[in-house]
Amino acid sequence: MSTVSSSGWLYGAVQRRRNRGLGGLYLVVAAFLILYAVLFPGILSVGGFSKFTQNWFPLALVTMAQALLMLNGGITLAIGPLVSLGAVIAATTMEGVLGVPGGFLAVAFTGLAIGAVTGAIVAHLRLPAIIVTLAGSFIITGVALILLPRPGGFIPGWLSTALAGHTPVAFLLLVVILVLWKAFLATPLGLGIYAAGDNPVGAFRSGVPVERVKIVSFALSGLLAALAGLFVAAQTGSGDPVIGTPFTLNSIAAAVLGGVGFLGGKGTMRGAICGSLLLSVMINVMFFLGFPPVAQYVAQGLIIVGAVAVPELLGVWRARR
Amino acid sequence: MNAVRSLFRNPPLLTFMLVALVWLVAGLTLRGFGAYGHLRYLLELAAVIGIAAAGQTLVILMGGIDLSVGAVITVTAILLPLISPAWDPTGLVGIVLALAIAAGIGFLNGAGAAYLRVPPIIMTLAMATFLQGLLVIVAGGSAVTVSNPAVILLGQARPLGIPAGVILWVVVSAGVLLLIHRMPIGARFLALGANSLATRLSGVSVTRNTLILYALSGFFAGLAGILVLGMNRQGYVGIGDPYLLTSIAAVVLGGTSILGGRGTYAGTIPGAILLVTTTALITVVNASPGWRSIMFGTLILALLLISGREARR
Repeated sequence: MSTVSSSGWLYGAVQRRRNRGLGGLYLVVAAFLILYAVLFPGILSVGGFSKFTQNWFPLALVTMAQALLMLNGGITLAIGPLVSLGAVIAATTMEGVLGVPGGFLAVAFTGLAIGAVTGAIVAHLRLPAIIVTLAGSFIITGVALILLPRPGGFIPGWLSTALAGHTPVAFLLLVVILVLWKAFLATPLGLGIYAAGDNPVGAFRSGVPVERVKIVSFALSGLLAALAGLFVAAQTGSGDPVIGTPFTLNSIAAAVLGGVGFLGGKGTMRGAICGSLLLSVMINVMFFLGFPPVAQYVAQGLIIVGAVAVPELLGVWRARR
Repeated sequence: MNAVRSLFRNPPLLTFMLVALVWLVAGLTLRGFGAYGHLRYLLELAAVIGIAAAGQTLVILMGGIDLSVGAVITVTAILLPLISPAWDPTGLVGIVLALAIAAGIGFLNGAGAAYLRVPPIIMTLAMATFLQGLLVIVAGGSAVTVSNPAVILLGQARPLGIPAGVILWVVVSAGVLLLIHRMPIGARFLALGANSLATRLSGVSVTRNTLILYALSGFFAGLAGILVLGMNRQGYVGIGDPYLLTSIAAVVLGGTSILGGRGTYAGTIPGAILLVTTTALITVVNASPGWRSIMFGTLILALLLISGREARR
């Protein structure tokens, strides 16, 4: 009895500590969401909410894919190509003999396999992740281009309607994925992601299989990115071998906006998800306010720097007082 | 045996040997590869990557990274024709102005990293995004043709049969090697990359060195931009994009640790040549764009296995 309550207390304390520092981010996200709702009340209807979350969903997935690796002390520059490859495989397999379930499996398996191989190269050959994924991004782009040299392919209409229609299916899927992530974090392997990212040597000496954790995190990251590609293909109804390109930088930006550090072990998935929500809302607001695409780039650059710099400067200012 | 072992401990030399081997094999097997004109052309292309990678090497040595290299090259290549004053017959004023702008952009990167405490990868990434938008607003989407005589001279002249770009690269290489290995500031960069806390406690100003470093990186990217402009005679949005990843790849292929503190520009030089050679060989094979991309990625990975491995724990 007493153990249960004390562990519950400990859990609460840990969660509170993790939420600290994210307060500012929550406020900014809330402010942007309110602004959005005031400007475009359509978001408050079921259809509007569905469309909004559908625009956010792939970014949320790739941000999770990126944050997962950054928490483990890695990084990947292959997110965009993996999204493209996921979209291409979905668009080329679903009309064939495999059908929709086969297409799903093919996309999931490809993501897992590519991620696992990348992870194995990084972990066992001890090459820096940023360069391996850079080289990997060329290879993955090449495969996508060979499978589908120009935009095309086919996604069954009912699947597009189911995933990207007027129902908040995407949002529910995101909730399910977040619950699964929470459950995964409760396993030794999931906890090992944080431990190995924070202090690889310490984690190794405490019995964490550092190499295996790294491979698993790369595999999961690949899975998430490929699934994001499948969703994008369902959204557009076809495949495109370069559709994922912007996701690489956006995934890094969103994770950093959410307070995930580059050195591993620092940050939270809920922060990363908030970061992706913030980025998605910003892009939407600028789009609907009629900003030309180039002005969006300017604003995006300024906002990203501001979002990272302001909390840092506030921290310095607080420490001085 | 010992000679072989010491060779493997010396990544720059190893990369040089690799280049020599590839050139020898390709020259013997492929018709036209070993021709003087072709090799000279390869070096000319490598000069752009090498100069852009000079700044990148310095930044990576100090433990940072500069993702705005491509954007700075594009900015210089587009702005230079626009800001070159018509009253200046030599065109040098335009070059100085463009280099000042490039160094200024780098300085802003450094200021963001030093004062605002934004991680370099994010600061330079945001800067690249920002510039990408600003450029289209300032210059519109169309290509600009250069009429600046000094820039054209730099891109086209061949004193004694050697392209001016390659000569510029030799000068830059000598300067950067001196800076890293013979000047106090180079030692400070390396020390900051190896252990920034210890270096700070030893009295080295992190802020000052960060500002200088990123300004230098911007300067070299600007120089590469001017060379590209001279070779192409035209500047357009996206002209610098290919040089971002190749500049990083050249640094890492040269054996410089991406984590900072260990490496030398002497490795980046053969790294740049190796990259250009790889691309040229892939073009010779005459494959579809998809296969070319796969081959390029696989080759980088294979080359990494030889020269870019991190120390064992």
